[in-house]
Amino acid sequence: MERIAFTTSIPVEILLAAQKIPVDLNNVFITDPRAAVMVEKAEEAGYPRNTCGWIKGLYTAALESRPEAVIAVMQGDCSNTLALMETLQLKGVPTIPFAFPFERDAEMLQLQIKKLQDYFAAGGAAIHEVKKQLDEIRKLCQQIDEMTWKDNLVSGGENHYYLVSSSDFNSDPLQFKQDMENFIADAGQREPFRQEIRLAYIGVPPIFTDLYTMIESMGARVVFNEVQRQFSMPYKTADINQQYLMYTYPYGAFARLQDILEQISLRRVDGVIHYTQTFCFRQIEDMIFREKIKLPFLTLEGEGPGKLDGRSRMRLEAFINMLK
Amino acid sequence: MIGIDLGSRHIKIVQMLDGKIIKTAIYDTIKFYRRWGMSADQKLPIDWEELGFAADGITATGYGKIAVDIEGAVHIPEIQAHAAGAVFQTGRHDFTLLDIGGQDTKIIMVRGGKVADFLTNDRCAASSGRYMENMAHVLGISLQELSSHYQDPVSLSSTCAIFGETEIISKIVEGHSMSQLAAGVNHTLYRRFATQLKQLGSDKLLVSGGGAFNSALINIIAGETGYDTQRLENYQFNGAIGCCVYGG
Repeated sequence: MERIAFTTSIPVEILLAAQKIPVDLNNVFITDPRAAVMVEKAEEAGYPRNTCGWIKGLYTAALESRPEAVIAVMQGDCSNTLALMETLQLKGVPTIPFAFPFERDAEMLQLQIKKLQDYFAAGGAAIHEVKKQLDEIRKLCQQIDEMTWKDNLVSGGENHYYLVSSSDFNSDPLQFKQDMENFIADAGQREPFRQEIRLAYIGVPPIFTDLYTMIESMGARVVFNEVQRQFSMPYKTADINQQYLMYTYPYGAFARLQDILEQISLRRVDGVIHYTQTFCFRQIEDMIFREKIKLPFLTLEGEGPGKLDGRSRMRLEAFINMLK
Repeated sequence: MIGIDLGSRHIKIVQMLDGKIIKTAIYDTIKFYRRWGMSADQKLPIDWEELGFAADGITATGYGKIAVDIEGAVHIPEIQAHAAGAVFQTGRHDFTLLDIGGQDTKIIMVRGGKVADFLTNDRCAASSGRYMENMAHVLGISLQELSSHYQDPVSLSSTCAIFGETEIISKIVEGHSMSQLAAGVNHTLYRRFATQLKQLGSDKLLVSGGGAFNSALINIIAGETGYDTQRLENYQFNGAIGCCVYGG
């Protein structure tokens, strides 16, 4: 089977229905032990130093993993994706544009989904069948999420891992399902975590590799990973059109805010960490979250892959200490 | 009780007894680390007697506190140490503390004697003590001279510590007076943290850290914000004092 890569979550049901292997380039990049080198390679190719680390990592990941094609999400994710797509085209990587409509318009979204479906010649019945199978797997993601905030049996880092992986189901949904079943069985046997401070993590997944363990070593635990949870699509929907309309991430700060406010109240969170990437437009959106979320708020910024820098550790430690 | 603040430029040590400061000392960070080195288990063994301190309880904070582990010390977060120091030094419980350090600037809002919120400068050293030192060097004047001018500043647009140097050179070429150039540097320093200062402002503003030495900057802050601005008496030792208070 051929591998189809993508720059952020897309209707993965279409790829699976077309017998393709889904590959989230973000996961390829950040799980590679050479992630920092991948960023440097993009810079050597000509990417400016003052551009997002993720975009540079995705560029190298796409060139090195040579998928059959890359689906580039042109609207509803990163504004740099246009140039990413163009520079990949320059290197002969076939690209397929996809756009989440700005106003969360159902008709426009349906059109985009239809285009993608036609491109891969995926039949409606096959897609529906895949959706039913994936819904069962998504339920396990929700179970892990509940075990995190309700039962306190799952760490923030484990929650992050399983939910973030649901964008491409680690390229093998059945194996991923098996992994989650095993994890749930093991975690069910544990003693609950005792960290007194409960944190929400909002924003794109961190480029730092040790954020969650560092938070836990400081006496706090993340019980809500906002965007990662959205990747797992925890909604009951009849079809994928509805599902990708419920998905908040591509539809701007206010669509996300509503979900965030509901969840932080439900999960009894003490403080919020807003992660933004250096040079990202979402650093501007920080204003919105800071003003609308009435909880202690820490904005954390990351640039390149690797461990937390000393300054971020100092700020994190002071923030957690302030909440105690 | 000994408090030690491991700064990026200087190491500050304070000894307190019965709520009174009995001894203080300041060392160049690099020289201090070279002298005391690292032991095999990554702990810094310090001979307190050799330094002239009577070793009892030791509390440490500072930028290096995770990378550098002082043997026998309790390590506390920097923000809390600075807040505790300022509460101790002034007896106040509601204020904003501006700490201008060697490589970073912190703005800490204190309410009821506790940290209520804080901001740090973004990933750039342009509003730090290091920037002041560089600029004084470029202008060929002492820090003392740099710190005495705030009127009629030249306009410097660059927010970058490195590009700022290039810009000030071009201003020197244009023939501006030394006092205008120094005032320009001091206004740049203020502008770098002005928005954050306003976000966490209080009627009472306390200023600490090595950068508080800069009287011109304190004048600018007071004039621009309208806050009742006060430099702490032991401004450079505030973090170390906070360690003694926190640890004691």
